[in-house]
Amino acid sequence: MHMLTNLMAQQTIWQLPEGSRVLLATLIVLGAFVLILGLVPVLQTLPPRGRRAIIVTVTFLAGLFFAAEFFLPVDWTAIFPKDDPKRNFLTPAIQPAQNVLQIIGALALGLGTFGLVRLHLRNAVQRRAQWGYSIVLLVSFVVMATLSILNTLAEKEIVERGPVLKRAFSILFDYTLVQLDAAMFSLIAFYIFSAAYRAFRIRSIEASILMFTAMLVMIGVVPLGAFISYTLLGLPEGASPEGANFLTQLEHSIGLPKIADWVLTQLNAPAQRAIEFGVGIGGLAMAIRLWLSLERGVT
Amino acid sequence: MSYQHAQDNWFAAIVIGFIALAVLVNIIRARMGAQLYIRRIPGLDAIDEAIGRSTELGRPVTMIPGMTAFGVVAVQALTIFKYITKQIARFATPMRLLSGDPTVFAVAQEAIYDAYNEAGRPDLYDADNIRFLSDRQFAFASGVAGLIQRERVAASFMFGEFFAESLIFAETGNMVGAIQIAGTVSFTQVPFFVAACDYTIIGEEFYATSAYLSREPVLLGSLVGQDIAKLLFALTTLGGVVAATIAGTDAPIIKLLGQPGGWDAFWSSVLKGGGQ
Repeated sequence: MHMLTNLMAQQTIWQLPEGSRVLLATLIVLGAFVLILGLVPVLQTLPPRGRRAIIVTVTFLAGLFFAAEFFLPVDWTAIFPKDDPKRNFLTPAIQPAQNVLQIIGALALGLGTFGLVRLHLRNAVQRRAQWGYSIVLLVSFVVMATLSILNTLAEKEIVERGPVLKRAFSILFDYTLVQLDAAMFSLIAFYIFSAAYRAFRIRSIEASILMFTAMLVMIGVVPLGAFISYTLLGLPEGASPEGANFLTQLEHSIGLPKIADWVLTQLNAPAQRAIEFGVGIGGLAMAIRLWLSLERGVT
Repeated sequence: MSYQHAQDNWFAAIVIGFIALAVLVNIIRARMGAQLYIRRIPGLDAIDEAIGRSTELGRPVTMIPGMTAFGVVAVQALTIFKYITKQIARFATPMRLLSGDPTVFAVAQEAIYDAYNEAGRPDLYDADNIRFLSDRQFAFASGVAGLIQRERVAASFMFGEFFAESLIFAETGNMVGAIQIAGTVSFTQVPFFVAACDYTIIGEEFYATSAYLSREPVLLGSLVGQDIAKLLFALTTLGGVVAATIAGTDAPIIKLLGQPGGWDAFWSSVLKGGGQ
């Protein structure tokens, strides 16, 4: 009772004294586990129609919460002068709702990792094809997880960060994982080259236009474009003077950097925006179907 | 932390309301039996061809939702994968679904299990075929590329949200000679897919896929609603261009359409005009 009084007085669990904080946090975590473990069997015993009714109701209420939070006016200062004009009464609940989503994600991560380890353990034990890769994965998984956990504990000063731990973690993380990431990323440069070669082969009028435009843009956005246009060809830089005739205006507009800029801002950008509009509307329609449980694909 | 609200721009909120209304009205129309037309999308017609090829070669089909976090994009991707799995189940073609997001992985397991059940072949379901590889971008990319190479997949379906790893998947698939169909809402990755895949489903076509494949009235109606909303956007854009040309970019109507808080500026100018 004393702990609860403290909690209410001090607003957050993190402001409680050390002992009470750990105890309360443990109780909350255990309570959440008991709730989840109890909820799953209860849902499983329900008939499909009953289960669906619960899911439809929860989905609708969750969607309604976010929609109401967005559409309800935020500025109530005319009625309640002390009210914050940037939020309504539902706004403070947004962050806890997002925390719940993060917790679900963390639980799913455990599920995913379990599935991965189970698959590779089976591969190794049953000596399936290419089981050596599975051994590499399992060893890497155990070593990396152990060192990462120890490193995190050391950061929180729960265990001591000795030179062995420091060096081992550095070798695995900085000198192995980060470098492997960089190696995969750098592969993209070669893949772009091979994909571009296939895409730019002149097979049709469209492919020819694509290749010609791509060449103009590629040369126009690098210093070579400016060198060709303004140094070699002697075209004028900058905007044309006011009241200039058509030929002067044309001269100021046909430098490669300007053509590249025109293609990117006048042709490419509107097309991308059009795609974005379509995607946005499609996403909204999908969200409405999910909210009202009209979508029967995976729900 | 501050969040966006309808009050920041009532015009945008009204547009959202209009789109929602257009979608719902057309869903009701479709449910009442209205005949709705959907144009041909070649990439989606090719799904069956790709599955057929995998079956003939006896090599697996891969389905990749990418690093898509769980949300509307992931649900749409899994709906498409569920359709593909139902087709695969008819011919007992091997499949692999490779996810980079644990929540999507958990839902994918259920969706694929349902697909095999609905196809009448629950015996073909193997939980090991739906794999969570890593939530680290390039670890996931190397895992997928390795699997495509080792198993010499015959068809690869990439639907969802993709980032820099998209070309690694598509080029690896190309190297092993797989038929590749990609659909994404990430417009920055579209050029890579267009260059490396056999068929690419761009932008809003991604959301039209489930309607196209299933021909369910709810989905078709929703699609028509989306088209009406797009028409509204096109007319707004055209109206904005004409109004800006005639009245200038500082006119209240332009601010109403194009600026946060423009609604307040518009009404205050209207009220001022009325009071004079």
